[in-house]
Amino acid sequence: MSNIGMILDRIGRKLVTEVAPKLEGDYSGGHAGMSGLMAVMAGEAWDGAADRLANEIASLRGLLALAGKAVDIAEAGSLKLSDLTIERDALARDLIALQAGLETRKDDASKALNAKIWTHLMATAMARMPSPPDFPDAEG
Amino acid sequence: MHEAELADKFAAYAEAHLPGARNARVASISRIHGGASRQTYSIDLAYEDATGPKVKGLILRRDPPDSLIDTERRVEFAAIKSAYGQRDLPVPEALFLETDTAALGAPFFVMGRIEGGTPLNPFRIDEAEPHRAAIGEQFFRHLGSIAALAIDGSALADEIDVPAPDQCWRRELDYWANEIRSNALTPQPVAEAAIRHLERHPPPPAQRLSVVHGDYRTGNYLQDGAGTITAILDWEMAHIGDPYEDLAWATDLLWCGNDQERAAGLLPWPEAIAVWQAASGCSFDPEAFEWWSLFAHVKALGIWVTSEKAFARGENDDPILAWSGWFTHAAHELMLAMRLGPKYGGGA
Repeated sequence: MSNIGMILDRIGRKLVTEVAPKLEGDYSGGHAGMSGLMAVMAGEAWDGAADRLANEIASLRGLLALAGKAVDIAEAGSLKLSDLTIERDALARDLIALQAGLETRKDDASKALNAKIWTHLMATAMARMPSPPDFPDAEG
Repeated sequence: MHEAELADKFAAYAEAHLPGARNARVASISRIHGGASRQTYSIDLAYEDATGPKVKGLILRRDPPDSLIDTERRVEFAAIKSAYGQRDLPVPEALFLETDTAALGAPFFVMGRIEGGTPLNPFRIDEAEPHRAAIGEQFFRHLGSIAALAIDGSALADEIDVPAPDQCWRRELDYWANEIRSNALTPQPVAEAAIRHLERHPPPPAQRLSVVHGDYRTGNYLQDGAGTITAILDWEMAHIGDPYEDLAWATDLLWCGNDQERAAGLLPWPEAIAVWQAASGCSFDPEAFEWWSLFAHVKALGIWVTSEKAFARGENDDPILAWSGWFTHAAHELMLAMRLGPKYGGGA
């Protein structure tokens, strides 16, 4: 049993379809249903999480390089999600500063790089968006 | 505090505060799911007075144990008082506001329970059928009526500052930008870019200062399943500001059930705007509305990052906060990126 995504998916569906209905009317029923939905979502996200972070990091480093920025942020020491997240977050802080600076300039090169940053932000936002769970009674 | 203890203490409090009441007891109490910012209970209070035995339906809104903010509770209570009995708005009666922790272990307020209604889930808005149009007409009429409420002398105006018309946008943007910067657990490049965009392109001054509900949307009203909105709830973010703020929030894409042809997923846009204009007396400026519509996404991100932080730090373990910090945050970040990116050449 090492397929973590599958385990989370099954646990989530059990919570939503079997546990939560038995708790209907009790406050904890809502908790069980919501927890189940997110377990299913987590199962799906788990499989692609490292790939998504690695893509974000590569894209961020590419944008900062295009700006001619000397990036002194160390590469993650492992492929653990926690290490990749630290590297991604540090690069994202630099990106925010870079984009704020570009917005104050009127030259074509700055506008072109800002457009690339927005393309990155759009792609990242799309990649981060979890699929809505496919339960007919999915809560919101 | 367990529900049995809460019920006993509440009965004692109610007996002391309801004129002429004696032998008060809680006949039933149940916690209502959702609304993680307050513990909300539906209570049947049985008591006797000079006219005989009575049972009164009440809603108790009690602060969570970790709550350090009392401003919002006073504001919510004042907002409900300001709207109750006005312009046919279905708003519960505000009954008691208790700021002392002695009675129930935390501050709370109590309002009358409006019978007959359930919330409509914004993710299942099709369930409004076959009454979607009727619900939509009332949704936008009530929203317009809130914008038309008198401010001068209102209970709400006594509790909060009244901004200048040209400062409504600035105050709200500053507030929510600060919420994002103070509470986000990770960098927020989309939110930061959106905040800068909104600062560079401010809207015109508010055409009028209005009561702003602050969280007027599907999910925060009750409907009876037969085409009538029976109660408008969750006034805790109420303030005085630009009426476009509520209109933009109410029609945010997240609450429209993926139906962009109908405002709030309920009424065709021209019809919805016409109903709102008639009830509010406001005009409609698409450019000003566009600013407030983008701002609504930023405000939402402010709420979602705050929810995520409270959940991550164990301050509130309601799973709905995790959902907010994940799914709805991702949804609003995506909306902002897809609306703003093309304005700067992104995605070309």
